[in-house]
Amino acid sequence: MNTQYFRFSVLACALGLASISSTYAATDIEKLQAEVDELKQKVEQAAEWKKPKTLIHLAGFADVGYTDADNSPSTFNLGTFAPIFHYQFSDLVMLEGELEFEINATGATSVSIDYLTVDIFVNDYMAFVGGKFLSPLGQFRQNLHPSWINKVASAPAGFGHDQAAPNAEVGIMLRGGFPLGGNSANYAIYVGNGPFLEWDAADGEVHAIETPGIGTDVDGKKVVGGRFGYYIPDTTFEFGLSYASGKASLKDGSTYEEGRDYDVTGVDFTYRPGNFDIRGEFIKQEYGTLATSTYDTAGGIWEAWYVQAAYKFLPSKWEAVVRYGEYDTPHASQDVEQWVAGVNYLFASNVIGKVNYEFNDNPNAGQTANDRVLLQLAYGF
Amino acid sequence: MLIKKTTLTALLSSVMFTAGMSSVVAEQETVGDFTRGAKAWSQNCIRCHNVRDPKELRDDQWITTTFHMRIRAGLTGQEVRDIIAFLQQSN
Ligand code: HEC
Repeated sequence: MNTQYFRFSVLACALGLASISSTYAATDIEKLQAEVDELKQKVEQAAEWKKPKTLIHLAGFADVGYTDADNSPSTFNLGTFAPIFHYQFSDLVMLEGELEFEINATGATSVSIDYLTVDIFVNDYMAFVGGKFLSPLGQFRQNLHPSWINKVASAPAGFGHDQAAPNAEVGIMLRGGFPLGGNSANYAIYVGNGPFLEWDAADGEVHAIETPGIGTDVDGKKVVGGRFGYYIPDTTFEFGLSYASGKASLKDGSTYEEGRDYDVTGVDFTYRPGNFDIRGEFIKQEYGTLATSTYDTAGGIWEAWYVQAAYKFLPSKWEAVVRYGEYDTPHASQDVEQWVAGVNYLFASNVIGKVNYEFNDNPNAGQTANDRVLLQLAYGF
Repeated sequence: MLIKKTTLTALLSSVMFTAGMSSVVAEQETVGDFTRGAKAWSQNCIRCHNVRDPKELRDDQWITTTFHMRIRAGLTGQEVRDIIAFLQQSN
Protein backbone atom coordinates (compact mmCIF):
# COMPACT_ATOMS: atom_id res chain seq x y z
CA MET A 1 0.00 0.00 0.00
CA ASN A 2 1.52 3.34 -0.96
CA THR A 3 1.70 6.08 1.57
CA GLN A 4 -0.16 8.53 -0.58
CA TYR A 5 -3.21 6.30 -0.76
CA PHE A 6 -3.04 5.78 2.98
CA ARG A 7 -2.92 9.55 3.64
CA PHE A 8 -5.89 10.06 1.34
CA SER A 9 -7.94 7.40 3.10
CA VAL A 10 -7.23 8.92 6.53
CA LEU A 11 -8.24 12.34 5.27
CA ALA A 12 -11.43 11.00 3.75
CA CYS A 13 -12.26 9.21 6.98
CA ALA A 14 -11.60 12.31 9.04
CA LEU A 15 -13.75 14.42 6.73
CA GLY A 16 -16.53 11.85 6.85
CA LEU A 17 -16.45 11.72 10.64
CA ALA A 18 -16.44 15.49 10.84
CA SER A 19 -19.44 15.77 8.59
CA ILE A 20 -21.31 13.05 10.53
CA SER A 21 -20.55 14.75 13.84
CA SER A 22 -21.69 18.11 12.48
CA THR A 23 -25.06 16.55 11.47
CA TYR A 24 -25.30 15.06 14.92
CA ALA A 25 -24.49 18.43 16.49
CA ALA A 26 -27.15 20.15 14.42
CA THR A 27 -29.94 17.72 15.43
CA ASP A 28 -28.77 17.76 19.05
CA ILE A 29 -28.91 21.51 19.25
CA GLU A 30 -32.36 21.54 17.65
CA LYS A 31 -33.57 18.94 20.12
CA LEU A 32 -32.03 20.81 23.00
CA GLN A 33 -33.56 24.06 21.75
CA ALA A 34 -37.01 22.43 21.62
CA GLU A 35 -36.57 21.09 25.14
CA VAL A 36 -35.50 24.49 26.44
CA ASP A 37 -38.48 26.11 24.73
CA GLU A 38 -40.83 23.59 26.31
CA LEU A 39 -39.23 24.11 29.71
CA LYS A 40 -39.47 27.87 29.33
CA GLN A 41 -43.18 27.53 28.63
CA LYS A 42 -43.61 25.29 31.67
CA VAL A 43 -41.74 27.74 33.91
CA GLU A 44 -43.88 30.58 32.62
CA GLN A 45 -47.01 28.53 33.28
CA ALA A 46 -45.85 27.65 36.80
CA ALA A 47 -45.03 31.28 37.57
CA GLU A 48 -48.45 32.26 36.28
CA TRP A 49 -50.05 30.27 39.10
CA LYS A 50 -47.55 31.25 41.75
CA LYS A 51 -49.25 34.56 42.33
CA PRO A 52 -52.94 34.20 41.54
CA LYS A 53 -55.29 36.90 42.79
CA THR A 54 -57.37 34.37 44.68
CA LEU A 55 -55.72 32.34 47.43
CA ILE A 56 -57.31 29.38 49.18
CA HIS A 57 -55.99 27.91 52.43
CA LEU A 58 -57.41 25.31 54.80
CA ALA A 59 -56.24 25.68 58.40
CA GLY A 60 -57.82 24.81 61.75
CA PHE A 61 -57.38 22.75 64.88
CA ALA A 62 -58.47 19.54 66.54
CA ASP A 63 -58.22 17.96 69.95
CA VAL A 64 -58.84 14.62 71.62
CA GLY A 65 -59.06 14.13 75.35
CA TYR A 66 -59.86 12.18 78.48
CA THR A 67 -61.67 13.45 81.58
CA ASP A 68 -61.90 11.85 85.01
CA ALA A 69 -64.26 13.86 87.25
CA ASP A 70 -65.15 13.31 90.93
CA ASN A 71 -68.89 13.20 90.33
CA SER A 72 -69.20 11.46 86.98
CA PRO A 73 -67.71 8.44 85.18
CA SER A 74 -64.38 8.91 83.44
CA THR A 75 -64.60 9.35 79.70
CA PHE A 76 -62.64 9.71 76.50
CA ASN A 77 -63.78 12.59 74.37
CA LEU A 78 -63.35 13.78 70.84
CA GLY A 79 -63.19 17.38 71.81
CA THR A 80 -63.27 19.37 68.65
CA PHE A 81 -62.54 19.27 64.96
CA ALA A 82 -62.51 22.85 63.70
CA PRO A 83 -61.46 23.42 60.10
CA ILE A 84 -60.86 27.05 59.12
CA PHE A 85 -61.39 28.18 55.52
CA HIS A 86 -59.48 31.15 54.17
CA TYR A 87 -60.33 32.60 50.78
CA GLN A 88 -58.53 35.78 49.87
CA PHE A 89 -58.92 38.02 46.86
CA SER A 90 -55.80 40.14 46.33
CA ASP A 91 -55.10 42.32 49.38
CA LEU A 92 -58.67 43.54 49.35
CA VAL A 93 -61.03 40.87 50.66
CA MET A 94 -60.81 37.81 52.86
CA LEU A 95 -63.42 35.27 53.84
CA GLU A 96 -62.65 33.51 57.10
CA GLY A 97 -64.89 30.73 58.29
CA GLU A 98 -64.51 28.19 61.08
CA LEU A 99 -66.77 25.18 61.46
CA GLU A 100 -66.88 23.25 64.70
CA PHE A 101 -67.64 19.51 64.64
CA GLU A 102 -68.34 17.75 67.93
CA ILE A 103 -69.52 14.30 68.98
CA ASN A 104 -72.17 14.26 71.69
CA ALA A 105 -73.03 11.67 74.34
CA THR A 106 -75.30 9.66 71.99
CA GLY A 107 -72.64 9.52 69.28
CA ALA A 108 -74.29 12.07 67.00
CA THR A 109 -72.13 14.70 65.35
CA SER A 110 -73.09 18.33 65.62
CA VAL A 111 -71.74 21.06 63.36
CA SER A 112 -71.84 24.76 64.05
CA ILE A 113 -70.43 27.87 62.44
CA ASP A 114 -67.96 29.22 64.98
CA TYR A 115 -67.46 32.30 62.83
CA LEU A 116 -67.94 33.29 59.22
CA THR A 117 -67.02 36.76 58.05
CA VAL A 118 -66.24 38.68 54.91
CA ASP A 119 -63.44 41.13 55.68
CA ILE A 120 -62.59 44.13 53.56
CA PHE A 121 -59.19 45.74 54.08
CA VAL A 122 -60.28 49.37 53.89
CA ASN A 123 -56.83 50.86 54.40
CA ASP A 124 -53.64 50.14 56.37
CA TYR A 125 -55.34 50.93 59.68
CA MET A 126 -58.80 49.50 59.28
CA ALA A 127 -60.59 46.36 58.20
CA PHE A 128 -64.35 46.02 57.86
CA VAL A 129 -65.67 42.70 59.14
CA GLY A 130 -69.23 41.55 58.46
CA GLY A 131 -70.97 38.31 59.45
CA LYS A 132 -70.73 36.11 62.52
CA PHE A 133 -67.57 36.87 64.49
CA LEU A 134 -66.11 35.87 67.86
CA SER A 135 -66.89 38.55 70.41
CA PRO A 136 -64.04 41.07 70.39
CA LEU A 137 -64.67 41.80 74.09
CA GLY A 138 -61.83 40.55 76.31
CA GLN A 139 -59.18 38.09 75.13
CA PHE A 140 -60.14 34.49 75.92
CA ARG A 141 -62.96 33.94 73.41
CA GLN A 142 -61.30 35.64 70.45
CA ASN A 143 -57.63 34.90 71.05
CA LEU A 144 -57.15 31.92 73.34
CA HIS A 145 -60.01 29.43 72.96
CA PRO A 146 -58.47 27.18 70.23
CA SER A 147 -57.09 24.15 72.05
CA TRP A 148 -53.56 24.43 70.57
CA ILE A 149 -53.41 27.98 72.02
CA ASN A 150 -55.17 27.51 75.37
CA LYS A 151 -52.54 26.26 77.81
CA VAL A 152 -55.20 24.48 79.89
CA ALA A 153 -57.58 21.78 78.58
CA SER A 154 -60.64 23.67 79.86
CA ALA A 155 -61.93 27.23 79.47
CA PRO A 156 -61.60 29.38 82.60
CA ALA A 157 -64.69 29.24 84.85
CA GLY A 158 -67.31 31.57 83.36
CA PHE A 159 -65.62 31.76 79.95
CA GLY A 160 -67.40 28.75 78.39
CA HIS A 161 -70.51 28.80 76.23
CA ASP A 162 -73.28 31.10 77.49
CA GLN A 163 -71.57 31.99 80.74
CA ALA A 164 -70.12 35.37 81.78
CA ALA A 165 -68.03 36.13 78.68
CA PRO A 166 -69.92 36.94 75.46
CA ASN A 167 -69.12 34.30 72.81
CA ALA A 168 -70.05 35.65 69.41
CA GLU A 169 -72.00 38.28 67.53
CA VAL A 170 -73.75 38.63 64.20
CA GLY A 171 -73.21 42.11 62.86
CA ILE A 172 -70.51 44.38 61.51
CA MET A 173 -67.19 45.42 62.98
CA LEU A 174 -64.32 47.76 62.22
CA ARG A 175 -60.93 46.75 63.55
CA GLY A 176 -57.26 47.43 63.12
CA GLY A 177 -54.14 48.93 64.63
CA PHE A 178 -52.27 52.21 64.49
CA PRO A 179 -49.22 53.91 66.03
CA LEU A 180 -50.08 55.93 69.14
CA GLY A 181 -47.76 57.97 71.33
CA GLY A 182 -44.65 56.09 70.20
CA ASN A 183 -46.34 52.73 70.88
CA SER A 184 -49.01 50.79 69.05
CA ALA A 185 -52.70 50.44 69.77
CA ASN A 186 -55.38 48.14 68.42
CA TYR A 187 -59.15 48.51 68.36
CA ALA A 188 -62.40 46.75 67.48
CA ILE A 189 -65.81 48.48 67.33
CA TYR A 190 -68.97 46.54 66.47
CA VAL A 191 -72.74 46.72 66.12
CA GLY A 192 -74.54 43.40 66.47
CA ASN A 193 -77.82 41.62 67.18
CA GLY A 194 -76.82 41.09 70.81
CA PRO A 195 -77.88 38.29 73.16
CA PHE A 196 -81.13 37.01 74.64
CA LEU A 197 -81.98 35.98 78.20
CA GLU A 198 -82.91 32.31 78.42
CA TRP A 199 -85.93 31.78 80.69
CA ASP A 200 -86.00 28.51 82.61
CA ALA A 201 -89.71 27.82 83.24
CA ALA A 202 -89.01 24.88 85.60
CA ASP A 203 -86.84 26.95 87.96
CA GLY A 204 -88.68 30.22 87.29
CA GLU A 205 -85.46 32.14 86.60
CA VAL A 206 -83.34 33.60 83.83
CA HIS A 207 -81.00 30.67 83.38
CA ALA A 208 -78.30 32.31 81.25
CA ILE A 209 -77.39 35.21 79.02
CA GLU A 210 -77.12 33.43 75.67
CA THR A 211 -74.51 34.88 73.32
CA PRO A 212 -74.05 32.33 70.51
CA GLY A 213 -74.32 35.01 67.81
CA ILE A 214 -78.01 35.03 66.97
CA GLY A 215 -79.04 35.11 63.32
CA THR A 216 -82.15 37.26 63.75
CA ASP A 217 -82.52 40.21 66.07
CA VAL A 218 -85.99 39.53 67.45
CA ASP A 219 -86.19 42.66 69.61
CA GLY A 220 -84.77 44.89 66.88
CA LYS A 221 -82.44 46.57 69.39
CA LYS A 222 -78.76 46.42 68.57
CA VAL A 223 -75.74 46.15 70.86
CA VAL A 224 -72.79 48.48 70.22
CA GLY A 225 -69.39 47.80 71.76
CA GLY A 226 -65.70 47.26 71.34
CA ARG A 227 -62.27 46.78 72.78
CA PHE A 228 -59.23 49.04 72.86
CA GLY A 229 -55.79 47.50 73.39
CA TYR A 230 -52.53 49.30 74.13
CA TYR A 231 -48.91 48.14 74.61
CA ILE A 232 -46.84 49.59 77.48
CA PRO A 233 -44.07 50.19 76.53
CA ASP A 234 -44.00 47.43 73.88
CA THR A 235 -45.81 44.21 73.00
CA THR A 236 -44.38 42.48 76.11
CA PHE A 237 -47.25 44.07 78.05
CA GLU A 238 -50.71 44.56 76.56
CA PHE A 239 -53.64 46.09 78.35
CA GLY A 240 -57.22 45.97 77.02
CA LEU A 241 -60.49 47.67 77.90
CA SER A 242 -63.85 46.37 76.66
CA TYR A 243 -67.31 47.84 76.78
CA ALA A 244 -70.67 47.14 75.11
CA SER A 245 -74.18 48.42 75.60
CA GLY A 246 -77.62 47.80 74.13
CA LYS A 247 -80.79 45.83 74.80
CA ALA A 248 -81.52 42.15 75.44
CA SER A 249 -84.89 40.39 75.61
CA LEU A 250 -86.03 37.59 77.82
CA LYS A 251 -86.92 34.53 75.74
CA ASP A 252 -89.46 31.94 76.86
CA GLY A 253 -89.71 29.25 74.14
CA SER A 254 -90.63 31.29 71.10
CA THR A 255 -91.97 34.27 73.06
CA TYR A 256 -89.80 37.35 73.49
CA GLU A 257 -90.35 40.14 75.99
CA GLU A 258 -89.60 43.78 75.43
CA GLY A 259 -85.84 44.50 75.49
CA ARG A 260 -84.10 45.59 78.71
CA ASP A 261 -80.79 47.35 79.25
CA TYR A 262 -77.75 45.17 78.65
CA ASP A 263 -74.11 46.14 79.37
CA VAL A 264 -70.73 44.45 79.26
CA THR A 265 -67.53 45.73 80.86
CA GLY A 266 -64.14 44.06 80.78
CA VAL A 267 -60.42 44.52 81.35
CA ASP A 268 -57.65 42.19 80.25
CA PHE A 269 -53.86 42.05 80.21
CA THR A 270 -50.98 39.97 78.87
CA TYR A 271 -47.45 40.13 80.25
CA ARG A 272 -44.63 38.01 78.81
CA PRO A 273 -41.30 38.56 80.59
CA GLY A 274 -38.69 35.98 79.47
CA ASN A 275 -40.11 32.46 79.47
CA PHE A 276 -43.22 33.50 81.38
CA ASP A 277 -46.63 34.05 79.83
CA ILE A 278 -48.95 35.72 82.33
CA ARG A 279 -52.45 36.84 81.47
CA GLY A 280 -55.74 37.59 83.06
CA GLU A 281 -59.08 39.23 82.50
CA PHE A 282 -62.29 40.28 84.16
CA ILE A 283 -65.63 40.38 82.35
CA LYS A 284 -69.10 41.35 83.53
CA GLN A 285 -72.42 41.06 81.68
CA GLU A 286 -75.50 42.57 83.25
CA TYR A 287 -79.09 43.15 82.29
CA GLY A 288 -81.46 45.67 83.84
CA THR A 289 -84.82 45.54 85.56
CA LEU A 290 -88.12 45.54 83.67
CA ALA A 291 -91.07 46.71 85.79
CA THR A 292 -93.62 45.40 83.26
CA SER A 293 -92.11 41.91 83.04
CA THR A 294 -94.49 39.04 83.67
CA TYR A 295 -91.50 36.71 84.24
CA ASP A 296 -88.86 38.47 86.30
CA THR A 297 -88.72 42.19 87.01
CA ALA A 298 -85.25 42.04 88.58
CA GLY A 299 -81.92 42.54 86.78
CA GLY A 300 -78.94 40.16 86.91
CA ILE A 301 -75.15 40.10 86.81
CA TRP A 302 -72.92 37.34 85.38
CA GLU A 303 -69.24 37.98 85.99
CA ALA A 304 -65.96 36.06 85.90
CA TRP A 305 -62.22 36.61 86.12
CA TYR A 306 -59.04 34.57 85.95
CA VAL A 307 -55.28 34.95 86.15
CA GLN A 308 -53.00 32.43 84.45
CA ALA A 309 -49.24 32.01 84.56
CA ALA A 310 -47.27 29.65 82.33
CA TYR A 311 -43.53 29.01 82.25
CA LYS A 312 -41.58 27.31 79.44
CA PHE A 313 -38.56 25.30 80.62
CA LEU A 314 -36.52 26.08 77.51
CA PRO A 315 -34.71 24.51 75.74
CA SER A 316 -36.76 21.48 76.85
CA LYS A 317 -40.28 21.00 75.53
CA TRP A 318 -41.95 21.19 78.94
CA GLU A 319 -44.21 23.94 80.17
CA ALA A 320 -45.94 24.40 83.55
CA VAL A 321 -49.18 26.31 84.01
CA VAL A 322 -51.40 27.47 86.91
CA ARG A 323 -54.71 29.28 86.63
CA TYR A 324 -57.11 30.64 89.22
CA GLY A 325 -60.57 31.95 88.39
CA GLU A 326 -63.98 32.76 89.84
CA TYR A 327 -67.42 32.73 88.24
CA ASP A 328 -70.35 34.53 89.87
CA THR A 329 -73.98 34.46 88.72
CA PRO A 330 -77.36 35.29 90.28
CA HIS A 331 -77.73 31.51 90.89
CA ALA A 332 -75.53 30.09 93.64
CA SER A 333 -75.66 26.62 92.03
CA GLN A 334 -73.77 27.87 88.92
CA ASP A 335 -70.96 29.66 90.78
CA VAL A 336 -67.41 28.25 90.74
CA GLU A 337 -64.05 28.97 92.34
CA GLN A 338 -61.44 27.15 90.32
CA TRP A 339 -57.74 26.30 90.53
CA VAL A 340 -55.95 24.45 87.73
CA ALA A 341 -52.39 23.16 87.76
CA GLY A 342 -50.96 21.60 84.64
CA VAL A 343 -47.95 20.32 82.78
CA ASN A 344 -47.74 20.59 79.00
CA TYR A 345 -45.44 18.90 76.54
CA LEU A 346 -44.87 20.80 73.29
CA PHE A 347 -44.28 18.18 70.59
CA ALA A 348 -44.09 21.21 68.30
CA SER A 349 -45.21 24.80 68.76
CA ASN A 350 -48.64 23.81 67.39
CA VAL A 351 -48.92 20.30 68.88
CA ILE A 352 -49.41 20.23 72.60
CA GLY A 353 -50.09 17.48 75.14
CA LYS A 354 -51.70 18.61 78.43
CA VAL A 355 -52.14 16.99 81.84
CA ASN A 356 -54.26 19.12 84.16
CA TYR A 357 -55.71 18.85 87.63
CA GLU A 358 -58.73 21.12 88.12
CA PHE A 359 -60.03 21.94 91.63
CA ASN A 360 -63.65 23.18 91.54
CA ASP A 361 -65.35 24.51 94.66
CA ASN A 362 -68.62 26.30 95.11
CA PRO A 363 -68.81 27.74 98.62
CA ASN A 364 -71.89 29.78 97.61
CA ALA A 365 -73.85 26.54 97.25
CA GLY A 366 -71.92 24.71 100.01
CA GLN A 367 -70.19 22.34 97.54
CA THR A 368 -66.53 21.42 97.58
CA ALA A 369 -64.26 19.04 95.73
CA ASN A 370 -65.86 18.68 92.34
CA ASP A 371 -62.41 18.06 90.92
CA ARG A 372 -61.36 16.79 87.49
CA VAL A 373 -58.27 15.31 85.85
CA LEU A 374 -58.06 16.41 82.22
CA LEU A 375 -55.80 15.01 79.52
CA GLN A 376 -55.72 16.54 76.08
CA LEU A 377 -53.79 16.35 72.85
CA ALA A 378 -54.31 19.39 70.63
CA TYR A 379 -53.07 20.11 67.13
CA GLY A 380 -53.34 23.43 65.26
CA PHE A 381 -52.78 23.14 61.53
CA MET B 1 -85.56 54.91 66.35
CA LEU B 2 -82.70 53.69 68.51
CA ILE B 3 -81.67 51.26 65.76
CA LYS B 4 -81.60 54.01 63.18
CA LYS B 5 -79.49 56.16 65.47
CA THR B 6 -76.94 53.43 66.20
CA THR B 7 -76.77 52.41 62.54
CA LEU B 8 -76.30 55.99 61.48
CA THR B 9 -73.63 56.68 64.11
CA ALA B 10 -71.75 53.52 63.14
CA LEU B 11 -71.84 54.33 59.45
CA LEU B 12 -70.97 57.97 59.97
CA SER B 13 -68.04 57.27 62.26
CA SER B 14 -66.68 54.64 59.88
CA VAL B 15 -66.92 57.03 56.94
CA MET B 16 -65.21 59.79 58.92
CA PHE B 17 -62.53 57.40 60.11
CA THR B 18 -61.92 56.09 56.60
CA ALA B 19 -61.71 59.62 55.20
CA GLY B 20 -59.29 60.64 57.94
CA MET B 21 -57.10 57.63 57.36
CA SER B 22 -56.99 57.90 53.57
CA SER B 23 -54.71 60.94 53.80
CA VAL B 24 -52.22 58.76 55.70
CA VAL B 25 -52.71 55.96 53.18
CA ALA B 26 -51.67 58.22 50.32
CA GLU B 27 -48.14 58.34 51.75
CA GLN B 28 -47.90 54.70 52.75
CA GLU B 29 -45.20 52.39 51.47
CA THR B 30 -46.44 49.30 49.75
CA VAL B 31 -43.55 46.86 49.60
CA GLY B 32 -42.64 44.63 52.49
CA ASP B 33 -39.25 44.95 54.17
CA PHE B 34 -37.46 41.83 55.45
CA THR B 35 -35.62 43.50 58.38
CA ARG B 36 -38.63 45.40 59.66
CA GLY B 37 -40.67 42.23 59.10
CA ALA B 38 -38.32 40.13 61.24
CA LYS B 39 -38.72 42.64 64.09
CA ALA B 40 -42.52 42.94 63.77
CA TRP B 41 -42.78 39.13 63.58
CA SER B 42 -40.71 38.58 66.73
CA GLN B 43 -42.72 41.23 68.61
CA ASN B 44 -46.22 40.27 67.48
CA CYS B 45 -46.43 36.63 66.51
CA ILE B 46 -45.86 35.45 70.09
CA ARG B 47 -48.47 37.70 71.74
CA CYS B 48 -51.24 35.09 71.76
CA HIS B 49 -49.76 31.70 70.90
CA ASN B 50 -46.50 29.80 70.51
CA VAL B 51 -44.52 31.12 67.59
CA ARG B 52 -45.24 29.21 64.38
CA ASP B 53 -42.21 28.04 62.40
CA PRO B 54 -41.74 30.06 59.15
CA LYS B 55 -40.92 26.73 57.47
CA GLU B 56 -44.39 25.40 58.30
CA LEU B 57 -46.18 27.05 55.38
CA ARG B 58 -45.76 27.90 51.69
CA ASP B 59 -45.41 31.49 50.43
CA ASP B 60 -49.11 31.78 49.46
CA GLN B 61 -50.26 30.23 52.74
CA TRP B 62 -48.29 32.81 54.70
CA ILE B 63 -50.21 35.53 52.86
CA THR B 64 -53.65 34.21 53.92
CA THR B 65 -52.43 33.41 57.42
CA THR B 66 -50.85 36.82 58.01
CA PHE B 67 -53.95 38.62 56.70
CA HIS B 68 -56.04 36.44 59.05
CA MET B 69 -53.73 37.47 61.90
CA ARG B 70 -53.93 41.12 60.84
CA ILE B 71 -57.62 41.03 61.79
CA ARG B 72 -57.02 39.13 65.03
CA ALA B 73 -54.01 41.05 66.22
CA GLY B 74 -54.81 44.58 65.05
CA LEU B 75 -51.70 44.82 62.87
CA THR B 76 -51.26 47.63 60.35
CA GLY B 77 -51.12 46.94 56.62
CA GLN B 78 -47.42 47.83 56.51
CA GLU B 79 -46.61 45.45 59.39
CA VAL B 80 -48.41 42.69 57.46
CA ARG B 81 -46.45 43.36 54.24
CA ASP B 82 -43.18 43.40 56.23
CA ILE B 83 -44.02 40.18 58.10
CA ILE B 84 -45.01 38.44 54.84
CA ALA B 85 -41.68 39.50 53.27
CA PHE B 86 -39.86 38.04 56.28
CA LEU B 87 -41.83 34.76 56.35
CA GLN B 88 -41.61 34.20 52.59
CA GLN B 89 -37.84 34.59 52.67
CA SER B 90 -37.44 32.39 55.74
CA ASN B 91 -39.48 29.34 54.70
C1 HEC C 1 -54.15 38.64 69.01
C2 HEC C 1 -53.71 37.29 69.11
C3 HEC C 1 -52.86 36.72 68.00
C4 HEC C 1 -51.69 37.25 67.50
C5 HEC C 1 -50.96 38.51 67.94
C6 HEC C 1 -51.27 36.33 66.44
N1 HEC C 1 -52.11 35.27 66.36
FE1 HEC C 1 -51.94 33.70 65.08
N2 HEC C 1 -53.70 32.96 65.77
C7 HEC C 1 -54.49 33.53 66.77
C8 HEC C 1 -55.69 32.76 66.92
C9 HEC C 1 -56.80 33.02 67.92
C10 HEC C 1 -55.60 31.71 65.99
C11 HEC C 1 -56.59 30.59 65.77
C12 HEC C 1 -57.61 31.00 64.78
C13 HEC C 1 -58.87 30.24 64.98
O1 HEC C 1 -58.83 29.09 65.40
O2 HEC C 1 -59.91 30.82 64.69
C14 HEC C 1 -54.34 31.86 65.29
C15 HEC C 1 -53.90 31.01 64.28
C16 HEC C 1 -52.67 31.08 63.67
C17 HEC C 1 -52.16 30.12 62.71
C18 HEC C 1 -52.89 28.87 62.25
C19 HEC C 1 -53.56 29.11 60.94
C20 HEC C 1 -54.73 30.03 61.02
O3 HEC C 1 -54.72 31.05 60.30
O4 HEC C 1 -55.66 29.76 61.79
C21 HEC C 1 -50.92 30.54 62.33
C22 HEC C 1 -49.99 29.87 61.35
C23 HEC C 1 -50.68 31.79 63.02
N3 HEC C 1 -51.75 32.08 63.84
C24 HEC C 1 -49.54 32.56 62.87
C25 HEC C 1 -49.41 33.85 63.41
C26 HEC C 1 -48.43 34.82 62.96
C27 HEC C 1 -47.40 34.58 61.86
C28 HEC C 1 -48.61 35.93 63.72
C29 HEC C 1 -47.89 37.26 63.62
C30 HEC C 1 -48.18 38.00 62.42
C31 HEC C 1 -49.72 35.67 64.64
N4 HEC C 1 -50.18 34.40 64.41
C32 HEC C 1 -50.16 36.55 65.63
C33 HEC C 1 -54.18 34.64 67.52
C34 HEC C 1 -53.11 35.47 67.29
